[in-house]
Amino acid sequence: MKCESCNKRHATVHLTEISGNEKREQHLCDECAHNLNNQLIKMPSPTDILANLINQVAPEIGEMSKTACPACGMSYLEFRSSGRLGCPMDYTAFKKGIVPLLEKMHGASEHIGKVPSRAGKELVVKNEVLQLRKELDKAVEKEDYEKAAKIRDRIFELSGSDDVKGTLRQDG
Amino acid sequence: MLRELYDKTGDWLRGTGPEADIVISTRIRLARNLANFPFLSRANTEQKREIERLIREKIKHAKDTKDLHYIRLSDISTVDRLFLMERRLISREHAGGDGERGVAFGRSETVSVMVNEEDHLRIQVIRSGFELRDAWKIIDEIDNILERELKYAFSPAFGYLTACPTNVGTGMRASVMVHLPALGLTHHIEKVFNAVGKLGLIVRGLYGEGTQVLGDLYQISNQFTLGKSETEIIEIMESVVPRITSYERMAREVLISENREQLEDRVWRSYGMLKEARVLSSEEAMHLLSQVRLGVTVGLIKDVTAETLNALFILTLPAHLQKLEGKELEATQRNVLRASFVRRRLGNTN
Repeated sequence: MKCESCNKRHATVHLTEISGNEKREQHLCDECAHNLNNQLIKMPSPTDILANLINQVAPEIGEMSKTACPACGMSYLEFRSSGRLGCPMDYTAFKKGIVPLLEKMHGASEHIGKVPSRAGKELVVKNEVLQLRKELDKAVEKEDYEKAAKIRDRIFELSGSDDVKGTLRQDG
Repeated sequence: MLRELYDKTGDWLRGTGPEADIVISTRIRLARNLANFPFLSRANTEQKREIERLIREKIKHAKDTKDLHYIRLSDISTVDRLFLMERRLISREHAGGDGERGVAFGRSETVSVMVNEEDHLRIQVIRSGFELRDAWKIIDEIDNILERELKYAFSPAFGYLTACPTNVGTGMRASVMVHLPALGLTHHIEKVFNAVGKLGLIVRGLYGEGTQVLGDLYQISNQFTLGKSETEIIEIMESVVPRITSYERMAREVLISENREQLEDRVWRSYGMLKEARVLSSEEAMHLLSQVRLGVTVGLIKDVTAETLNALFILTLPAHLQKLEGKELEATQRNVLRASFVRRRLGNTN
């Protein structure tokens, strides 16, 4: 039997397609069958479809999908499927993906609060001042000026600058 | 050391402290990890062993923790691990986990330090009643002391780095265990949970995430650990919890003033069952204890204390009964033992 497509070579591939009640048979040579297959291959694979979907739903995964932590070897996708990080370094390695995630989780992506003293005195002071400023705002809001004055003095003591003092005097 | 615990309870069950009629206990835990090791899900056996050894040695030498008793969980039986979990000295995950891991705790059971749980280090302080400031003061100090000995994983941007990003930042979970029987009886409990959720707090069962609610006992804790300082988290809890307790008190008053007979019947029936039953399942015991505790706190029942009832909530749990009896027991045997234990504790000698 000759190939139905090129009508030259011998047909070695026999395809049967059933659509509805109709049965259609095709007899092709190797080469023509291969070309047909290539067309089929051009269809997006399930992985591509999924990747596209992920890109639409969570762009950071698409962008981060090739990232892995140089320290522990964990990939970003592994983290997203298990929900657990591999090592402390991951927070840096996956920063781009983690920041929006933290925003969703905590409504924030920056630490305020305790700092280990070995992280450096400067950082400890910076964080304390940050906290005190928040407290100062609250005290002023509540018109608790006595408390506000105490907080202001503490901030003054820590930061060694008197700009805060000046602001409060004007307010009070 | 474990043997000493079998027949007593921790200080946090004393029934003392502010709001103790409703707030049974206050707990704060801090999650910490060592900087130079992978988190546990990615650590191999050797690394886990190394982390455990390192932290254990530091705990044994540090000023505030050297008197704590240290137990390696691989050295003790499954029942003993369950016992420590019922005691709230370790988490459910820690009891069921594997690999080299341990716990250090004090005689009063106020402080416990879990090693190689989800994070390398989980420090916990439990106090009786509503005592957040007090608990924070204690745990902050222990954390400071351990921090001098151990290099914690910390980043200025993200705070204390944890295996799960839900704990990152302060690494702090503050929670209170509340007894809310009247809100349950008057069907207001759902409203409370909805309101609490909107304020950034979450409600869970007695033993944490995914555990069943038994005996009208709930744990309310902060949901967010990042972007808020430890003090702010405490302030949020301090503003929300008293509202829940006053809501519960209001519901109790309504029950007394509008349904006194029904309430009396309910609490005295429950008391009668506890004093006379010959077979008690864990669930039934929890339920009855909850009703009687309600009766005691509203002044209907006067011949038993809230402290006795608090203790019974824990002492009648499966692993506790088995340790008390000194052998493993089937559920049916436990139910008989539980009934006789409760009768004796409530002064019935028959």
